[in-house]
Amino acid sequence: MRTDWEGSYLDGRTADRQRVVIRPMRNGLQITTEQGGTLWWPYGETRQTQGAYAGEQVRLERGGDIPEALLIPDATFLSYVHRVAPEAASHLHDPTRRRMRIPLTVLAALAVVLITSALYLWGIPLLTAVVATRVPVAWEERLGQAVTGHLAPPGKRCLDPARAQVIQEISARLTAPLGRSPYAFRVLVVNDPAVNAFAAPGGYVVLLRGLLDETQSAEELAGVLAHEFQHVLRRHATRALLQEVSSGLLLAALAGDATGAMAYGLEGARRLGALRYSRQNEEEADREGMRMLLDAGIDPGGMITFFARLQKEGKGSPVLPAYLSTHPRFEDRIGRLTQLATQSQTTPAKLLPHSDWRDIRRICPTTGRPA
Amino acid sequence: MTCPKCGLMQLPGPRCKSCGAALTSPSGDPSPTRPSSLEKTATPPSPELPTRPSRPPQDAGAASQSRRPSFHGTGWSLFSIHIVNTFLTIITLGIYYFWGKVKVRSYLLSQSEFEGDRFAYHGTGKELLVGFLKALVAFGIPLVLLGILRELLTSRPVLNGLLVLLTYLIFLALIPFAIVGARRYRLSRTSWRQIRFSFRGQAMDFIRLFVWGSLLTTVTLGIYYPFFETHRHGFLVSHSYFGNQRFDFDGRGRDLFRRFLLAVLLFVPTLGLSWVWYLARKQRYFWQHTTFASARFHSTVTGGRLFLLMAGNLLLLLVTFGLGWPWAMVRNVRFAFRYLTVEGPLDLAGIQQEAQTASATGEALAGFLDAGLDIG
Repeated sequence: MRTDWEGSYLDGRTADRQRVVIRPMRNGLQITTEQGGTLWWPYGETRQTQGAYAGEQVRLERGGDIPEALLIPDATFLSYVHRVAPEAASHLHDPTRRRMRIPLTVLAALAVVLITSALYLWGIPLLTAVVATRVPVAWEERLGQAVTGHLAPPGKRCLDPARAQVIQEISARLTAPLGRSPYAFRVLVVNDPAVNAFAAPGGYVVLLRGLLDETQSAEELAGVLAHEFQHVLRRHATRALLQEVSSGLLLAALAGDATGAMAYGLEGARRLGALRYSRQNEEEADREGMRMLLDAGIDPGGMITFFARLQKEGKGSPVLPAYLSTHPRFEDRIGRLTQLATQSQTTPAKLLPHSDWRDIRRICPTTGRPA
Repeated sequence: MTCPKCGLMQLPGPRCKSCGAALTSPSGDPSPTRPSSLEKTATPPSPELPTRPSRPPQDAGAASQSRRPSFHGTGWSLFSIHIVNTFLTIITLGIYYFWGKVKVRSYLLSQSEFEGDRFAYHGTGKELLVGFLKALVAFGIPLVLLGILRELLTSRPVLNGLLVLLTYLIFLALIPFAIVGARRYRLSRTSWRQIRFSFRGQAMDFIRLFVWGSLLTTVTLGIYYPFFETHRHGFLVSHSYFGNQRFDFDGRGRDLFRRFLLAVLLFVPTLGLSWVWYLARKQRYFWQHTTFASARFHSTVTGGRLFLLMAGNLLLLLVTFGLGWPWAMVRNVRFAFRYLTVEGPLDLAGIQQEAQTASATGEALAGFLDAGLDIG
């Protein structure tokens, strides 16, 4: 039976390594240096700082701020120590228990996957929905003001009073069935050729001129507005903000310290994960927007034809597969909307029967814009 | 013994090695071979003390050989540590995070080998937690309050502008403060052959260097950047110690200037790839000009390999939603070691222990500010 183990001794004062022979005894380690000097390390004063993982040398330390150390390359040393001194050396790592680690690790991994997917799929959406409703509307309005200041700079707003009045009428018609709403809806038209619309928190909706030009009737605009109003009412902007923070935290827990290029990889993963939330919000805005149209007695066909036209013209770039896009796929979207629209029985009257829609669209100054 | 002024733990002498303060030996006998404060812990029951071997240091024969660090860890073992950490972090609502961090650092250093000996990490989770709480109270809360104040004053542009400037200046001073703090802490908790590393630069000096460098870089529209970077790196390296032996840096910003200009000019046509080549060039240059006593570091990193590493890690983290982090980390360490050698004679026999106390506050602040340290 082998009783002596080769190792090295570091005195903690110099970088010199001395070869030693270590003999584990009942109460401590007897260490003999090459020069024949001996050291005695009682187990009670000895602690292990390395050697708990496969491939690591065993490192034992003794002493206060700047300890001495013993290095033993052969990890079977530990098993021998446990045999010689099962009680006194019980605080040292026991390699025979290492096998326990695999099932424990697998269990921990499973638990992590389950917890994080549950948080991602249900926890975060639920939490943000609950928290978002607690955010005071006044905060949202302040935030909305700041956002619209960037998206709709005062110099680019189209302010033609008569035509703005008509758009105001449409939004009043949409919001009338809500009764008392905490939000004062304001629609701002911006002189910008892009086909887009935004809902800022707090009741601001920004319509870009390009989108207004695409609409063929008041009903189509009503469809867009209903969708955007629902973003406001469902507090999607506020929720997106909260979702961003919480998914960032979740990912930070999942991944360790990341610097440099690794941080970009994590940011990319976070954005990819956030797309799901964004699509959920869009679907909700579509669904509830359609309901809003029906409640207001506006022909839901406008919303459907408008989205269908956007799809045909390839605007809004729906070339990305659904899982890579912020918006649901157009086909899915139109299908769902049509299904919702057919559930309604009433035949709605035409919206704004006495005004010329083409004229209304000219709310922005005509200089420098194609006819 | 420990210097009463700066906290450097060193062998007794008349003056502190770091700050020059007078040292008074408790026993009144400043014998360099048997420091009284260390003797207490090192005394074996047997009267024979292990004498220092009289044979020449084992490295003397291979004096001018080139030495290379090596890494023995694997992605799987780091993953198993990491996943257990993640689990415990989640169920303790984040508290375990600091202990987990210690486990990871300890693993990475324990698996790093140089000249047949592993590095060791001596930090504790408690230290990191205390540092985090201190940084939160001292810096985190004031910064958040400043942010809220700015929000409230949006209607008053002049006052708001002043606050923005103030915040910017605070950050400009805090980032270097955090970098120095983090380096001081991490080096003080790292050892090789039981000899501690330390960082002894003064935070004020680095803040001055950093603020001036940032301002000059802004004023010169970025032209000063390579000079700034070189000064910054030089400061951090040349105030780092292994035991009582200092690292040195003799690089000059002008040597990098042409490459820098080229990388900037080619940035758009090469879709940013020229920058990766510059980064590799910079790494090689910085190592080439880092010395330790009479040994000099040498790196053979190339832009292409650096690009493969970065792109690979990016993709790995992206598709695994962060779970691939351990493998990315192991790739990083392996990469850093693969191209790094130490050339020339390495006299380890003359190195004596000098350790330093340091708090983890700066380290935590660096975490807040995202001023991470890429060592290597």
